[in-house]
Formats: sequence, C-alpha cells, structure tokens
Amino acid sequence: MTTTERSPYKVIGTRPIRPDGVEKVTGKAQYGADVRLPGMIHGRLLRSPHAHAYIRRIDTSAAEKMPGVLAVLTHHDFPAARDEMQELGEGAVNLKELSDNILASDKVLYRGHAVAAVAALSPHQAEEALKKIVVEYEVLPPVLDVMDAMRPDAPLLSETRFTREMTGQKSEKPSNIASHLQFKSGDVEAAFAEADAIVERDYTTKMVHQGYIEPHNATASWNADGTITIWTSTQGPFVVRAQVAEVLRHPISTIRVIPMEIGGGFGGKIPIYLDPVAALLSKKSGRPVKVLMSRTDVFEASGPTSGTHIALKVGVKDGVITAVKADLAYEAGAYAGSPVGAGALMMLSPYNIENFQIDGYDVVVNKPKTSAYRAPGAPAAAFAIESALDELAHKIGADPLELRKKNTAREGTRRVDGTAFPRIGHEECVDAALNSAHYRSPIEGPNRGRGVASGYWINAGMQSSVVAAVNTDGTVNLIEGSTDIGGTRASLAMQLAETLGLPFDVIRPTVADTDSVGYNDVTGGSRTTFASGMAVHEAGLDIQRQMRERAAKGWGVAADAVSYADGRVTLKTDSETKELSFAEIAKKAASTGGPIVGRGSLTARGAGAAYATHIVDVEVDPDTGKVTILRYTAVQDVGTAIHPSYVEGQIQGGVVQGIGWALNEEYYYDDDGRMANSSYLDYRMPTALDVPMIDAVLVEVPNPGHPYGVRGVGEVPIVPPLAAIANAIADATGHRFTSLPMSPRRVVEELHGLS
Amino acid sequence: MAMVIVPAPLRDLCGGAARLDVAGATLEELLRNVDALCPGFYGRVIENGQVRPEVAVAINGEAANYPLFEPLSPGSEVTIIPAIGGG
Repeated sequence: MTTTERSPYKVIGTRPIRPDGVEKVTGKAQYGADVRLPGMIHGRLLRSPHAHAYIRRIDTSAAEKMPGVLAVLTHHDFPAARDEMQELGEGAVNLKELSDNILASDKVLYRGHAVAAVAALSPHQAEEALKKIVVEYEVLPPVLDVMDAMRPDAPLLSETRFTREMTGQKSEKPSNIASHLQFKSGDVEAAFAEADAIVERDYTTKMVHQGYIEPHNATASWNADGTITIWTSTQGPFVVRAQVAEVLRHPISTIRVIPMEIGGGFGGKIPIYLDPVAALLSKKSGRPVKVLMSRTDVFEASGPTSGTHIALKVGVKDGVITAVKADLAYEAGAYAGSPVGAGALMMLSPYNIENFQIDGYDVVVNKPKTSAYRAPGAPAAAFAIESALDELAHKIGADPLELRKKNTAREGTRRVDGTAFPRIGHEECVDAALNSAHYRSPIEGPNRGRGVASGYWINAGMQSSVVAAVNTDGTVNLIEGSTDIGGTRASLAMQLAETLGLPFDVIRPTVADTDSVGYNDVTGGSRTTFASGMAVHEAGLDIQRQMRERAAKGWGVAADAVSYADGRVTLKTDSETKELSFAEIAKKAASTGGPIVGRGSLTARGAGAAYATHIVDVEVDPDTGKVTILRYTAVQDVGTAIHPSYVEGQIQGGVVQGIGWALNEEYYYDDDGRMANSSYLDYRMPTALDVPMIDAVLVEVPNPGHPYGVRGVGEVPIVPPLAAIANAIADATGHRFTSLPMSPRRVVEELHGLS
Repeated sequence: MAMVIVPAPLRDLCGGAARLDVAGATLEELLRNVDALCPGFYGRVIENGQVRPEVAVAINGEAANYPLFEPLSPGSEVTIIPAIGGG
C-alpha cells in the first residue's frame, strides 16, 4: 500500500473487524433461502425451452389439479403494463418490458424466459405441476450475436422497435438496433492522415455473468390487510419496492421489502425477477410463498452483461494519441438497454485526445436481458483501446506505461462528452505503476510476458438516508438502508465514529427494511461508502449539534459557546474549562431533552471518478493453451481508503472477475439459442487455485467532493484486466488476441493457425 | 453565463456549434435559452417536465437526477450524455 499523505484520522484508515463477520462465519447470518414462515409454500417457474417464439396458448388446468398445488400463475394474472418508460431507481425502465421479462405475455425472447409459475406445498409438487402446464409455441429463428442482429435481414425481436437517435429521429424500418449514440470532436480523418502509426482492429467479447454465489430468491406474504411483505436478496430494497408497486399496481406504502444478507450481486441483483411472482402466488394461495432460482435459472434468466463487437482505429504522432475512431456494438439481450453508453463515455477517459468519433449501438438479441455488471460497459471498451495502445507503443518503440503517462488525462482535461475533469488520479496511478517493484523487476523465461492497462469508472452519488440513535451507555445504533455487499456496515460505522470522535466498536450498524429508514438508492455505482458515508457524516454532525445544545443548557451558556471534538463537549472561558464526554451527555439524555437522534438524508453530489492501472505477468503453455497468471499488481486511486482491507478486497475481487472474463468465461450457445454451459461445472470461473495473490497498491488522491475524500472503489478494478492480460499474452507469444475469452482452446487454435 | 457543451447528435440544431455560452440561472432557464438558439433542443432533453429517460444531464461533469430548478453558477458546464448505470 502507498499513501500520498499522512492520515489525519483516528478511525478512518484502520482495519477493524467487520460488524457482521461473526454471524457470517458461524453460519447464523440469514440469507433469502433461509426464510421460513408459518404456512409457507414453495413456488417454481416454467421457463421457455425456445430462444424465440410466439406463445399461442397456455393451458394450466391440469397443473391446477395436481396434488399440493395451491396457485398457478401466468401473465394474465398481472395487471396490464403500460408501454412507457419510468424512472424506478435503477435508471429508466419500460414498464411493459419489465413485466414481460418477469412473465412473458405474447412472445418469449430467450431460452429460460419465464411463462408460468406454480405454488405448492412442497418444491417437488411444484416442479411436478410445472410439467403439466401446456404451452403452445410458434417457434421463430433466434438471433444470438450482436453483429448478426444488426444485419438488415436479421430476425426481429420486435416489429415495433425502431432505431432511436438523440435527435428524435427513428429508423424507417423496424430494427434490432434500439438506439445509436455518438461522441465526436475535432477532425479525425485529418489527424489519421498525419499520424506516424495507426492500429486498426476489431475486438469482440462474449456475454458473461457476474457469477455471484447466491442464486436469486424471493419470499412474499400477501397479507389479509392488503399489505405485502417481501424478503429478498437485492442490491436495492427500495428499487424492489418501487418496481413491484409498478408491476402489480399496488400502493408503494403498503409494500415492505426486507433485504436479507446478500451472497454477491455486482449489479446483477438490481433488477427484479421473482418478487412480483412470489407476491401474486401468495395472494392466490393465501400463504407465504418462497421462490428460488436454480443455478441454470440464474445463468439463463437473470441479467448477465453484453457480448460486444468494437471496431477501433487509433493513430499517434510524436507519441501523442491524435485520433480515435470507434464503433461499439453491445448486446442488450432481449430488451433494449445495454451499457454501450457507458462504454462509449468511459473508453477514452484516461487520456487527453483531441480528435475522436465514437459511435455506440444498443442491440437486442435472443439472450437474457442484460443488467449491470461491475463498471457496466467499461471493461469491453477498455479491452479494445488498451490493447490498441499497447500495440501502438510497440510500433513506435515506446514503453507502454510511458505512452499512457504522456497522454494522461489530468484536471481540466475534457472527457469525450466535453466536460472538464476535476482533480483525478490517473497520472498518479501510472506513476505508481512505473515505480512499482513489479514493473521494475525483469520478466524472464520462455513464453512469459508482461502487460499493462488502465481503466476509468465515473462513480455515482444518488440518494441515501441514515438514522443514528444515541443510547444511554454512549453507544450509537446506526440504521442504514444500503445492502451491505462489500463491507459497508464497517465503512459507514467508521465514518460515523470518525465524525463523533468515538471508537469504532461503539457504533452498531444495522441494514434496515424499507419501512424502517428513509429512501436509499441501490448499493451500486460504487456509491455506498461515498454517498451513504456523506449521509452518515451529516447524521454525525446532527448529533454533535444536539450534544453541544444539551451541554450548553446545563452550563447555562449559548450552544455556540461550546465546542465538540474527540467525543467531548468543551466550554472554555478565561477562568475555567468544563468538559462532558459523549457518554456522560448520552446518559442524561432523558432529563435534558429526550432521545438524541441524528439524521442524514441527501442526494450526494461530488462523486469522484476512479482510475486504475494494472500490471500482469503471464506464462502461456503453447501446447495446451493454458495461461497462468504469475504476478498481478493493481494500482488504484481510491480517494481516501476508509477500511484499507475492504478496499484491497474490492480490488482483488474485481481483478479476479476480470481474469475470468479474459481467460475463460463465456455464454456458450448452440445454434438454437440453448446455453450449453449453464452450470459452474461448465462455466469456468477462476478459483483460488487459478490466481496468485493480487497486490493492491492504494493511491490516495482525496476526493474534494466528500468530507473524508472518499471515492467509489468497487467497479474500476474490473476495467483494466481484460486488456492487461491480452497485452501480456501478446508479449509472451507475439500473437495479438482480439477476441475473448483467451481460453486454452482458442489460444492453441490461434497460436497454431487452427482457427 | 454557463457553457453548454452540445452533444454531437444535436449540433445540427445549433448550426454545428459544439459549445455555446448561454445565460441561465437554473437548468430550466438555460435549456430554454439554448432552445431559442437551437430550436428543438429543449424537447430532445426534457419531456413532461423531466429529463428524458434515455439521457442524463451532466453539470460540471457530474451526471445526476437534477431538477429543472437546479441552480447554475456562472461558468457552469452543462452537457447531455446517455443515461448510464453502475453495478
């Protein structure tokens, strides 16, 4: 770890044990699958065996007569959804598409698309009943690849989808290209004409899954008074509440969502799939209903990230990147909404480039609707640009990190959308990488190589609310509404402890349900430690104020005559100094004005962008194609590291996911649109045996937009690995791989000219 | 005056201009004033009193769910970007 300044903090920057650690390691923590309620029954969903088909008829009569069956559901049981966009907390959602993705109405658009649901006394009875449901399909040819889907003669997923432009224009004919966007500046063609060196290539990545351990789940109770209670695994209970309210046309105030512990999400647990189904099954059966996805369901019917095709041309002159032309086409899955906009916006953000044209295409295909996955859209874009820069560095004889340093974005550099960066830390990351022991060490041995790459993620602010209640013994209960995925109970409690000048262990954080705390946006966008941290700071200041007022009242002075520091309220006059500790004031709260409760509720602004630069050494076995990661160093501007261990953990986790994406992971489809590897036996993710220790180097460039300098850290570490590894393989073998994954089969095929 | 960075697809509305200096104490006022210079601009950004769902407004580089009454400082930079989400 490296830090740029000595920490001025007492709690921030330390590494306390996480408050939820004991419950998790002893198995007592409650996850969605652990929910048991009196009278609870079990729901299961029937899913389409076809990737693309009209639903002509669904007959559930035989299933309804099966033993133990208490309810059967199809789309007919859902209120008719409006075909309109609405902001529901995770970005705008088309309500009809949201509803259709939960239970298909007229058409199935991917294999695994849910068409009906059953609730029965046992899971086995529910599964047997599913077999009795008759669905008549008119099967259509599927289109599975982004480039195939863009062809004029491609099968259309929807006859009413036209390509939208920002100008408001629509394509003349229906298309699978849902929208087109563009960023443009300078004179690209003139810059290419003057360039010393140019690289022009096509890059492709496959659809991959977030790979969270815990499958989706939901348990719902439609209560006799019309209220609904939902226990679920989610990154955003308030988003679940908003979406369920809209899909079921039920008042939002009557829906209570209880977020259970979450076994990973990475963006994939923002959308809803099961919650409204469980709720309606509960309404029909009169029982609480629990619905679980299998692993195959998770692969086939949740929200992976896009397969992509990027055509890229980059030119340099005198070591300066002078021109970029990029066409990005991203698979959205069954409904519009790929992260191509983010990919296009982020792609060039580490650099200062004058002339560019970036075009992005959001393309529907017969695969599950994509959802967010850790820095959504950015890794594929970085794979392309960072691979091309590596190739250009070699062409012009430049060190690849020096090329990045020479072209780095700094404060004042304009992003592709034209706005100027505030204080950012890319150059510091490149410098730290250049000066690292890793980069200064030799890479030796046959078939070994080194690669580097940088990455950027914008980070988000959005809405957070917390309440902090002071107890009579001087402890504080911190009630927050952000699902804890990456240690945010700890990082938020630490910020409150710092604000109040108290030890970490007197703050007791709890993640509350939607009835028990104000609105919180999702745990996503690398926002929670930043934005909820700002709310926590605000709540801490609120408590400080109340503490000063209580002490001042007792001393008979005005509140502004006393000060708060290090957990003590002090009155200093010329003749004396009086002090009361936090605990002393807390103990007397009842007699000095009642409970002391701090409140923080805000829309956070000032999210600082995150940068990372990675170095990786690999060894390639030319006979088997196996790529071994020998050494990996991830340098990242983390703002202020509240809990360095969790920051390092986020970086290491992101890198490992990137390694899997680079080397092995892909949705492998047959021609009919059946995923052939929908289990962890066949969908190859890295294990602890596949990766070395990831060295995380924390560069702390405090974010001026946060009281403690926090930047989001969770997403950017997945951005550089794809290109860094491709660059290392090119260094090791002399062969440039432009398609992911670089799996053993593909490595052998390409190295030996077999593909 | 605030600086409006005109997204590439909307530059035709503005005679090809990539940047405009426009007065406006609030986002609403600014966008109305841009619309006076670039007819049709407002409608490409705002629909039913809200920012259109497929785009986001970025002020000084930060995209957020700004209200139309968001105050702007002299020298603020405002642009329109595609709506994005994080994981």
